[in-house]
Amino acid sequence: MSSTSSLILKLSPLALPYLALFCGGVFLTVCQSFGLLTPLPYPGGMVDAYLELLTDSSFFASFVFSLGVAAVSAASAVTIGTLLAYRIWKLPGRLATVALVYKIPLVLPHIAVAFVVLVFWSQSGILASAAHQLGLIRSMTEFPNVLYSGWGIGMILAYTLKGTPFAMLLVMAMLVRFDARQIQTADMLGASGLRIFFSVVLPRLAPAMHTGFIILFLYSFGAFDIPYILSESRPGMLSIQVYNLYFKHDLARRPEAMAILTIMFGFAVLFIVAYSKVVRRLEDGVRKL
Amino acid sequence: MKRTLVIIALYFTMTAPTGLYAQTADADLAKTPFSRIEEQARGSQVSWYMFGGWAHVNTWVDTYVAGEMKTRYDIDLVRVPMDAGVFVNKLLNEKAAGKKKGNIDLLWINGENFKNAREAGLLFGPFAQKLPNVQQVVDPDSIAFDFGFPVDGYEAPYGRAQFVFEYDTAQIAEPPTTMAALKQWIHANPGRFTYPQPPDFTGSAFIRQVFYAVTGGHAQYLAGWDPDLFARKAPLLWQWLNDVEPYLWQKGRTYPQDSAFLDTLFSRGEVGLGMSYHPPHAQNKIIEGTYPETVRTFVMQDGSIYNIHFTAIPFNSPNKSGAMVLANFLISVDAQLSKYRPENWGDFPALDPKRLSPQDKRRFQAVDLGPATLGPEQLNPVAVPEIPADYLEAIEQGWRDHVLNE
Repeated sequence: MSSTSSLILKLSPLALPYLALFCGGVFLTVCQSFGLLTPLPYPGGMVDAYLELLTDSSFFASFVFSLGVAAVSAASAVTIGTLLAYRIWKLPGRLATVALVYKIPLVLPHIAVAFVVLVFWSQSGILASAAHQLGLIRSMTEFPNVLYSGWGIGMILAYTLKGTPFAMLLVMAMLVRFDARQIQTADMLGASGLRIFFSVVLPRLAPAMHTGFIILFLYSFGAFDIPYILSESRPGMLSIQVYNLYFKHDLARRPEAMAILTIMFGFAVLFIVAYSKVVRRLEDGVRKL
Repeated sequence: MKRTLVIIALYFTMTAPTGLYAQTADADLAKTPFSRIEEQARGSQVSWYMFGGWAHVNTWVDTYVAGEMKTRYDIDLVRVPMDAGVFVNKLLNEKAAGKKKGNIDLLWINGENFKNAREAGLLFGPFAQKLPNVQQVVDPDSIAFDFGFPVDGYEAPYGRAQFVFEYDTAQIAEPPTTMAALKQWIHANPGRFTYPQPPDFTGSAFIRQVFYAVTGGHAQYLAGWDPDLFARKAPLLWQWLNDVEPYLWQKGRTYPQDSAFLDTLFSRGEVGLGMSYHPPHAQNKIIEGTYPETVRTFVMQDGSIYNIHFTAIPFNSPNKSGAMVLANFLISVDAQLSKYRPENWGDFPALDPKRLSPQDKRRFQAVDLGPATLGPEQLNPVAVPEIPADYLEAIEQGWRDHVLNE
């Protein structure tokens, strides 16, 4: 037996369930999106579900809106997370231990974070009543309509809140291995704080930031729980549309739900490939420290 | 490697014959007298999958139903909370995977989910006519159709629901009681009305009721799906809904995701009218302390949709006898009476009052529904049946295309 096949055999207890469950699921989803292997015989043609979606302008609106919410929340989570991680890393040892409270949102489920945002930011919420008590606004309804602005701000807030500590965790792991003498050297050579951050620290953190961005972006693009609590009706998030089609509509519409999932999955794969290519090209242009 | 193969082979030899066995057992069950079925079910366990979003209903099932099942039939009842759409998909997957022995014995199901389950061959039956209580106290006409889809004995009745609106008498003196008046009310009170976004169950029922009211009543739709009729009539519904949209909560830019969200808006006074497909809903909320004591319910005089909810048995239920005993108990006079009491649940009985003994009839009449729940004398005269499921699907999709994304 060659070493490769023995390795495959040794991995099989892990790999087989993975292949069966994940690839099986993707395979079934793709099949059903073409009207094959559906619970009820599908009368339409193979690409009917896709045609239905691609001719529906609200599908595009939802797609673009979901992308926007995901991009803004992932970018802000990574930015804030990186800055905070760097600050904490520079703190003296004892304070840095205290700063571990940043990990709290990590253990909160997404749905809980969604409720936190709801309770704080709605027009009858904690911030509105605090502002009212402080005399900043005359009545509660003067509080900005954050949750129903049509811009998905509630979801962006929730995803950012949830994503920031995750980004911090990834960045912290890089910083732990970072040699502080590089900063001291740059400092001695007269570099400013900003210059040090952008030219010395940031390039080292970039891989963690890219990973964090991809994970957070794709997660918020497809996840269901936060939109279920915080999304508005129009434009809707894709995940809600899939959920409704899958669970609340006639079985005959299963291919449509699966077609949306297939498009989302295809997009995610393309995105990862394209993103890594772009990042690699950018990094090739940068002089390695 | 060899060991794995042996285990796989063993697995197949162990699972293969059970399917055959289960099939013959099913056929036998149809011929077995009910007393024998009760005998078989003794000492077994029954898993009932049902909507779990109402704490008081869960309590009623866990205490009264579970207790009675234990003392009367020595059956252990396990309640599993799950939305109907979810367990239908679970059963679909089990069927696709060839799983002959599942873990669900009884479902609380109706409408679209029943149609889906029946069309995909997920249900065992017919069994309803076998149940002694269905034979004795249920009007067969009342359970012939479920959202226009023939029941054919694949469901046993369990309760009756009817669409009501809710208002706070401390805020509103005279609520609007026709759809035309409601439209005027919405225009006169901007931001004070909304409905849950279809396909939410309650929101979807609300727009069906508008559909009946603005297109000349329900009777024309009951014969079954007629695309031409729908194409002619539906624009009136979109018109009505679009006319009120700018005057809805949040200027109609967004809708509550589900009825629980609407309940919250109503209880906080953000909107003036609430709605529910369950007549005792407001009374339950008052008892729970979330609605003010002054909340009352009313019905639209131009039609208030009612439906019967049912229980059904999956094709791969491991304990079909036990499931039938439970379904039979749920439609018994005792269980229906206990369910009717507002402190337990307040759900209306699916029994035919004409088939009850005078004594039983008096027991139902003696139940105090509470001030917020309307009685049969107000509900029955305006009750209209549910629309066939094909219309329902078309209305929900049309709402997306013509109201939401207009």
